[in-house]
Amino acid sequence: MHPDLVPGGRLPDLELPDHSGITRTLTELAEGDPLVVQFFRGWWCPKEQSAMRALVRLQSEAEVAYTRFVSISIDEPVALSAFRAGLGARWTFLSDSERRYQEQLGLRETTDTLYRPYVPTVFTVYPDLRIHNVYNGYWYWGRPSNEDLRQDLRAITRELRSDWAVGS
Amino acid sequence: MSWCWFAVVDEAKVSGALASAAAYDLDGRSAGLLAAWPSSRKPVPHAVRMDARVVDAEGAAAWVSLVEVAADRAPLFDDPAVSGALRAVLSGRRLDAVTTFVRDSSRFAGSLSVSRTDGTELGVLRDDPFARIRPARLLRVEAGLLGSVPPPPGPVIQRYAGQPWPAAGF
Repeated sequence: MHPDLVPGGRLPDLELPDHSGITRTLTELAEGDPLVVQFFRGWWCPKEQSAMRALVRLQSEAEVAYTRFVSISIDEPVALSAFRAGLGARWTFLSDSERRYQEQLGLRETTDTLYRPYVPTVFTVYPDLRIHNVYNGYWYWGRPSNEDLRQDLRAITRELRSDWAVGS
Repeated sequence: MSWCWFAVVDEAKVSGALASAAAYDLDGRSAGLLAAWPSSRKPVPHAVRMDARVVDAEGAAAWVSLVEVAADRAPLFDDPAVSGALRAVLSGRRLDAVTTFVRDSSRFAGSLSVSRTDGTELGVLRDDPFARIRPARLLRVEAGLLGSVPPPPGPVIQRYAGQPWPAAGF
């Protein structure tokens, strides 16, 4: 992983096609809200399928909490769209099928030389893409649990929303 | 500007509009003019607020699904029927643009869903999730009013300080 991708660093404003084929940027997708950026291997990986199902369970909280998710893999948009629909996910998936950012970010899965996917990595970031936390999911238990994400998003939101302490 | 005024009017009432375009029903009969105005003084009494990104004076003709909800029948945005429709829009097939309408801080006043993609527009719009709340009108809208806006990033369904969904920002 690139040495700048640590808490306090900043994710580049990646520009990639979404699951509909429309080019999007991370800052556009954040729209001023806290963002979970998830790099995943691909639809075929059973670990990803399990992790994705967990994230789907969190989306009902995120959708009322002004919090965005973005998932990124090397799958083509049409595959992402089908995977997303099958999961019942309601957030944006981005396709880096050309692996434009893999080397820049240092997030190539070196043990899979067939698909050359992203190494599973999750960032929790502020709307300006400043990194709050990073999770290396090469080993499954390195991934954030929904409780980890909930605590990160609470911390980001507390800092972001000037009226967090209203009433106290 | 995150929102603008919207109304269906006759030709005499579009002065000061950002953009307007004639609309026709499936039988080709006139359905009036769809018009959008800047977010200043309310242009006509029945105008509602919508996401301003939908308006594009250079936009091509499109099919729309228009849901208009009378003030005395407007459900809360927090009504599960409305929340369910927002979720269905986020997980469904892509539209060229979508916006809800608002009159106040808490009630759903309708929606405008735009499609002009690949010849399946009417099929997509006939599945308009907002039409489960109140009946929708399918209309052909001429060029000069409606743009193309990327689908709303998810999974947020809450609105920001009474803004029309999916307009973002507090």
